[in-house]
This record gives sequence, C-alpha cells and structure tokens, in this order.
Amino acid sequence: MKSVVEASEAVALAVKLARVKVCPMYPITPSTHIPERIADYIFDGEMDAEMIHVESEHSAASALIGSILSGARSFTATSSNGFALMYEILPILSGMRLPAVMAVANRTLAAPINIWNDHSDAVSARDQGWIQLYAESSQECVDTMIQCYKIAEDKKVSLPAMMCLDGFTLTHVFENVDVPEQAQVDKFLPAFTREDTLDVNNPKTFGPIGFPDSFMGFKKQQQDAMTAALDVIKKANSYYKKQIGRGYGDGLVELTDMGDAEYAILGMGTLCGTAKAKAEELRAKGKKVGVIRLRSFRPFPVKELQAAVKNLKGLAVLDRHISLGSNGPLFTEISAITPELKLFGYIAGLGGKDITLKHIESVFTDLEKGKQSREWLM
Amino acid sequence: MKDLKGINYEEYFASGHRACAGCGEALVLRHIMKAAGPKTIVAQATGCMEVVSTPYPQSAWRVPWVHGAFENAAAIASGIDAGLKAQGKREKVNLIAMGGDGASFDIGFGALSGALERGHKFTYIATDNEAYMNCLALDSLIMTKDGLKRIIDIGVGDMVYAFSQKNHKLVLKKCTGIFDNGKKRIFEINTDSQTIKATGNHPFLVLERNGRGKQSELVWKTVEELRAGDEVVVLKQGLEGKSHIFPKIQLSKKGDYKVNRIREVTIPKKSSKDLMKLLGLYVGDGWVRVEKAEIGFSVPKGNRARVPVKQLIRRVFSVDATRENENEVYLGSINAAKFVESLGFGKGAKNKVVPEWVFTLPIEEKKAFIEGLLLSDGYKIGNSYRYVSASKELLQTLRLLLQTMNVRVGKIHQQTKAKGTKVVYRALKKASTYGYICFSLKKGTNSKYRSQNKYRDFLYGNKNFEMKKIRSIERKRLEPTLDLRVEGEHNFIANGFVVHNTGVQRSGATFPYASTTTSPAGKKIPGKQEPKKPLPYIIASHGIKYVASMSPANLLDLKTKVQKALAIPHASFLHAYCVCPVGWHCKSDDTIELSKLAIQTRVFPLYELENGVVKINQKVEKPKPVLEYLQLQGRFKHLGEEEVQKIQDYVDARYKFLLDMDGKKAFDVLF
Repeated sequence: MKSVVEASEAVALAVKLARVKVCPMYPITPSTHIPERIADYIFDGEMDAEMIHVESEHSAASALIGSILSGARSFTATSSNGFALMYEILPILSGMRLPAVMAVANRTLAAPINIWNDHSDAVSARDQGWIQLYAESSQECVDTMIQCYKIAEDKKVSLPAMMCLDGFTLTHVFENVDVPEQAQVDKFLPAFTREDTLDVNNPKTFGPIGFPDSFMGFKKQQQDAMTAALDVIKKANSYYKKQIGRGYGDGLVELTDMGDAEYAILGMGTLCGTAKAKAEELRAKGKKVGVIRLRSFRPFPVKELQAAVKNLKGLAVLDRHISLGSNGPLFTEISAITPELKLFGYIAGLGGKDITLKHIESVFTDLEKGKQSREWLM
Repeated sequence: MKDLKGINYEEYFASGHRACAGCGEALVLRHIMKAAGPKTIVAQATGCMEVVSTPYPQSAWRVPWVHGAFENAAAIASGIDAGLKAQGKREKVNLIAMGGDGASFDIGFGALSGALERGHKFTYIATDNEAYMNCLALDSLIMTKDGLKRIIDIGVGDMVYAFSQKNHKLVLKKCTGIFDNGKKRIFEINTDSQTIKATGNHPFLVLERNGRGKQSELVWKTVEELRAGDEVVVLKQGLEGKSHIFPKIQLSKKGDYKVNRIREVTIPKKSSKDLMKLLGLYVGDGWVRVEKAEIGFSVPKGNRARVPVKQLIRRVFSVDATRENENEVYLGSINAAKFVESLGFGKGAKNKVVPEWVFTLPIEEKKAFIEGLLLSDGYKIGNSYRYVSASKELLQTLRLLLQTMNVRVGKIHQQTKAKGTKVVYRALKKASTYGYICFSLKKGTNSKYRSQNKYRDFLYGNKNFEMKKIRSIERKRLEPTLDLRVEGEHNFIANGFVVHNTGVQRSGATFPYASTTTSPAGKKIPGKQEPKKPLPYIIASHGIKYVASMSPANLLDLKTKVQKALAIPHASFLHAYCVCPVGWHCKSDDTIELSKLAIQTRVFPLYELENGVVKINQKVEKPKPVLEYLQLQGRFKHLGEEEVQKIQDYVDARYKFLLDMDGKKAFDVLF
C-alpha cells in the first residue's frame, strides 16, 4: 500500500507491522514523532501493545531489559542527548544478548545545543555491541525496521540493533512509501519466541556478575555473534527482497555506479542521496564516478568494502561525525582496511550543516586532481 | 511447609551465597523471599546482594531474577510488568524490584519515582544499609591480638601480628586498611610445616645469601620470583600468651524454670593447664548436651584416658564424675555443660574446631591442650606424634596452633579406612574418611656452633620466627583476594587469602554523623552532616496505597508487610533496615541486637502507611537512649557527648513527627 508519510511515521508503521508488544518511550527531538505516532496507534486500539511513559531515556533502555526478558518484542526510539543518557544501558542490553530494536533519529550532541542532524550520537556508541544500520530513505526505514527484528532475534546473533535515520532530513520529510501488508510482514517475521525468560515455573538468573575469568569469554561470544551478523544481515536483505520485493545492495553495502568507477564517495545515510545525484550528473559528462553507501556500520563489512574499492584510483570518505582529536571514525576505519588506496577524509554536515551538490562536486574534483583541497566541508 | 508462625520453610534465596557474616541485607532478602514465595520475579540493582548472590556461573536465586545496572531496578520492573501484561501473563506473578541506598535514595530515585507515578504493579524494596556498600567475603585466617581471625572479620584498627624488619621480633601492629585485589591467580607455597596461599605479586620475606664472608640479608620477593629451595621467614612461636579470662555466661540457679536442684560446681574463670588438658580430651572424646545437663567422655574402661578424665574433672570443676559405665564417664551439671558449650569448640566429631582464644594462651596451656588431644585421638610413632580427626577444620586450626608452638608440623593427610580397621585403639563401626596431622618436637641445637646454626637458620635464636625452605610452589586456580595494610610494618601473618571488597561511601540515607569513606570522621567535620533523606514519606507522596518500614528484628511483621505490599494492585514500597557489619564497623553477631536496638531507641520505627493512614506497628513507650545503639558501631565511635545529644534530639524529633501522624490520614492516595 503506497502512502505519503514522513520517515518517523514509516518507522512507527513498521513497529506496528512487526507486532511489537512493549514500547518504553521518552520523547526528544527529532525522534518525537515516532512515539507520537505509536501512541496514536495504541490509544486508538490499532496496535495491541503497552506503551511505558518512562521518565527518562535511561529508564526506557532499562525497561527494554525487563520487557524483552518477559518475552515481549520491544521497541524504543531516541536521539542525541537522550541517546547519551541511555549510553550506560547500551552495553548491558548487548552484553545480556537481548534483541532490542531502537530507532535513532540522528542528531548531534550538545554543546552548543543543536537539534539538527549528524551522526555523532550513534557513531560514538559504535563499540557498545549494537548492530547499527543506516537508512537513506523513508522507504528504507520501513524495510530496515522490520529487518532489524529479523536480524536481532536470529539465534546466531541475539544482539540489539539500532536503525539510524537522519534527524529532520528523514524524520520530518514526507515521501512516497510502499508499506508492506501485515500478512507479508508476518510471513517474513514470525512471532517473537524466546527460551530464556523470567518465568516463575523455570527460574533463571539474568545479569550475574562476571569475574575476570569469565568476562572475556562473554565478550568473545559477542564478537563472534557480530561476525555472524554480517551474513544474517545479508540474508535478511535478500529474503526480504524475495518476499516483499525490495533490497538494498547486499544488505551491508550499497553500490551505485561502481562497476567501472575510478573515483568514489563513501558515506552513510541521506548524504549518499546527494552524492548519487551528483555522481549521476558527472557520469553524464563521462566521468567514471560512483557512490558506496555503507548500510551496516556495525558489524563492519571489511570484505565487502575491500571488494568494492578494489579497482578505484581514489576514494573520499564523508564523515558526519568527528572523533575530536583524531579523524572521522569512518575514515579511520576505511584507512585501516585499504592501505593501498588513495584516501581522502572529509568532515561534513555537522549539527545540520547542509551537504550540498557543490560540496560533493568539490570532493569529486579533489579525487580527480589527486589533491585534497580541504578537510571540512563548511 | 510453614512453621507455626506461618514462616515458609522453603528457601528462595539459597544459602551458599557470599554475603559477609552477619549481613543484615542477606537476612532481610531471605525472609522477603520466604514471604513472597516461588511465584515471584525479582529485579535487582547493582550492589552487594547482586555481587554476592550471582557470581557467574552460580546463583543463589531460586526465582527468576534479573540485574541490569546501578539505578534502574524500578525501570526494569516497569518493563517486566508491561511485557507480562502485553502477553496476558501478568496474573498471579509477584514482581519485586530491589535496590540499596544508591539505587533507591539517590541515583536510582528518578527511575523509582517514574515507575511509581506510572502505577506499575510491583513492590519496590529499599534495602537501607545507610551507605553505598559493596562486599564479597570468605575465609582466611590471620593472627591477631585476639587470636586467630578470619580475614573478613578483621577491621581497620584491629591489632594484627607482624614481623618487625628492624629487630626480627614478633610485634603487634594496627591494621590500617583492607584492600580488594580482585580475582587473581593463586599460588600455594608449601614448606614442611606451612601452607600459604597468595597472589603472584604478593611479597614474602626471603633470605638472600650474599656469599662467603658477606652478611646475608632478608629481602622481599614476590611469589613469582620465589623458587623451591628459597628460605622464607615463617612464624615459629607466637608471643608469650596470657591465660584466657572467660566471658561471663548466664548460669542456672535453683528456682529457675524447671530447675529444682543444682549440682554445685566450680566454673573456671580463666584458662589453666588442667582445664586445657581436659578440653583437649573433650575435643577428641567428649560431647556436651545442655538439654540433658551433662558433659560426657567416651573413654572405655581400660582406656589410657579414663583415669586422667576423672582426675581432671575433679580438679577443674571441684566435683567427681557423677556417672560412669563400661564405655563413658559423665559429669552431670547444667552449669558445667553450659560453660563447656560456650567455649566454642563446636559440636559433633566433624565440626570440632580450635577456637580463636586458644591461640592467645601461654605455651604451657597450649601444650596441655595438645597433651589432652593426644591422649584421646593421638599416638606417638618414633619421635613424632600423630593426631587423627574427622573434622578438617579442627585439623586446619590445630596445624596453625602448632605453628605457634615451635614444633615441626606436617601437612594434613587424608585417608579412608574400611569398616573394622583399628584407628587409635578403636575399631571403626563403618568405613570412614579421616584426616591426620603429624608433628614432632624440635631437637635443641648445640650453642657451641652458633655460626653454623646461623648459617642453617638465619634467624637462629629468634624466639618467634625461623627460616624455612620452600618445598614447592603450585599454581592454583583464580580466586578473589584481599590484602591488609598494616601500620609501620607492611606485613601480617596469614595462612591464606580470599575475597573481600568494600565500599562504604556516604549516601542520602546515611545516618547523621556516621563516618563513611566519603564523609569521614575528620578533625574538622565529624562524619555526615545531613539528616537521612525521608524516602518513605517522599514515596508516600506519590499517592501509592502502601508504604511500610520493616526490620529483621521483627520477622512476622516483615512477612505480613511483604505480603500486604504484594497484594496491592499498583505500586507499593517497603523500607528495610539492613545492618552492614563491614560498613558499620560492628560485630557480625550484633546484627539482630542492633536491629532490635534501632527499634527500641526509635532510630528505625516500624510503621506503615496504608491508604495514606499512618500506623506505628511497634510503639516504643520507653525508648532506650540512642547512645546504646551508637556505641555498638565503629562508624559512630568518634562522637562526643555533644554529637550524641544532637543525634538523640534528631531521633526524638523524627519520632514525634511520626507519632503526631499516628492514626491519621497523612497522605493523599491517588491510585
């Protein structure tokens, strides 16, 4: 069914379609429209779920521990400082191997206080054991949301997953979205079942203290699960494509015009849309340029990325976040896996600063010239 | 199954957890769970109880239990409540969220308040031990002024024995700190007589031989640098002890309930050689039954111990044995029985121990004790003696005792003997596993060859210490470890190291003037300056139906309150009084006494707010002075009269406030 919705509503629709049972939510711009829409569904009786009006994001994340362990599929959404308040619970959810799913409407972290988009909230939590998928369009938000449950709840994975969507650029922008039918989603995503629950007839202990002799073993298991997730994400993408008819690259990386490309831009989220538009324009002028969109930042698809850049003469990495005192994290990680490649790193679009076609053009020009004119696109 | 008072026999918070001795919180938890029953889910905040009850892969919980973080137990409970509700599984399941001081009063207050306001059906229990505590515990024996103590029972300020590096003498030093070293690889170092467990980086005093003509010296080496053959300083003999003065016990008098006649016996006021020898015999062959008012010795006619037992009974208690038959000798006296039971040798062959006070005795009395032991279950082979016992703890403590007596003592051996085998002159009735320990007196050395002797034993002539060669160093498993800091000398005498780990930082619930690690009893500021946060009233202001305080001093009240709270269809709140011996610097066997005193002094009144109406459950008409409560706790020992009076006024004012509300509807109820 096609409808014109903003990405926030697309996310809410996906949550409803996934038959989520518990939503502990605390509003924060720009994620607010998500809990608002979900509340509409629950209060109108369209969605059979419990909404917990928690008093903070910290409690939202904490309530996920309880609701998932009670056996209920659960969801929350947040942004920016709210995400930062949750930070303590993020590694607890992943360490306890709870398949929570969260929509992160990416917004920068204060100060200066700023409500607009960049990736500094989610990217700064890259080490906390959550799967991170970045969406580019409202359509992808619906599809990825549903896939997130499929991936997180996979027994080989059993890790929490966050879907990151750019604040305002996606959350507040109306687009034509093809919403899948309930029956299609039910077929793709069966009901949530879990062996390990808080069951009075089968008492189990969750969240014990792990002494140094066992702790590293747990972390190794989490890392192995992350590695396994690479394949699971790919399969979820292809299975979804088969069932519902849409896919995004191989699920991990989406390549545009990369067949014979000599130069390419790599990024995450909506900035890739702008890059694709510019690349198309340059292609028309005979330039061999392409765009690599990283969909899965965690787990980090090393092989897929290496294969994608194999024949390139130069690659520009656009980070919507800066690890202050170092570089853009994406740039750092790409450099580590492509030692031969000529690589330029750009910091772009912080705190809602637009990334324009002009910016993209200048990046492609740099690549062609083999000389980086500037590092900050501002 | 329940007892007459309705307290459940079943345990849902199982024994074997690692809480400290005398932990009030563990006790409260156990009884909360007994009251709540098996259909209960528990969400607990980070803290002592989570640490001691769930060291992966073990768990003391026989109900579903979850822990997330420090401050979110109430939020996790919200999730559980909503999750079960959404699945239609909420009926007939109790939900308890629990947190200590931080989780309830401070960092977790927001989450608690939020969950209450949302009206989730759950009971929040604040286990209030008046600071941010955090501990694990276990055994390990340290030589102290008061005898042998488990390392966990040692507090800052206790006097422990140390080796003086200046004059190589045994000295008493004050313990100034206790440290948690975390879980470390443990090494077991064996000499002929000693077994010591320590971490790889734990230093030992080792003799460094600098070669001919040069002075040898003692240096510290870590276990990792130690090699078999190295000579380490070990304890040979404890300080000259003193006869032990026994604490007074409650004796029976004629006219007491069911006491019509009483046999007059002398109850020893302090230890003596005769008494110790008799006790040695008692440990091997004796038993005491207070309910039958008798002490018995299993010494058959013809046994070498029969005559000495009878003689010693006469000498110690000034009466003859009252009854004897083919196999046993009895002394029928309620007071003698009470006295022997109070000495702490333990009951039953498998549970006997050498109590700590024996370590403080003069060498002669210790020797008399050993003589008695040998007369019962020991024998001599050549120059060495062997003592047999079914109690491992007895053998361990005996070995440590012998180490303080300048004898050579071997390892504890174990053997299983078939039925009918003779063990120390007696045939076994059934196949049994026994331990035994061998020791021998040391031969004197010829003082003519002083330098040779000195070469053999660098500490030759030292009364208390000697050098021993390390026989073996074995790598053992990982164990949590603890270390002590000792004033002046950075050493102490221990046979082993195990777990501990303390916090004790000020919380919003810390009692005024209490000394904590972040509100210390300073020269300028004497401990915490602020009152306790009145959490129960703040909670009651959320408009919930049931708020109550409870204490392990009144278990029936506790049980009733837990069950009342769980029956409320919305949120309810319980404030539990939890003594923390480690943090409060009180004796671990004073937990119940303090809990009672807290009520009797009006420090922690038992009350409930049901539908907003205040009811004091246990009114205290004639309160004891607060001083009685304070003086049992080291955290208040810095206080002078002025502060004690201020605390008295504080307590009086709080109680008056409560009393004024008694019987009245003091809070609005919204749910």
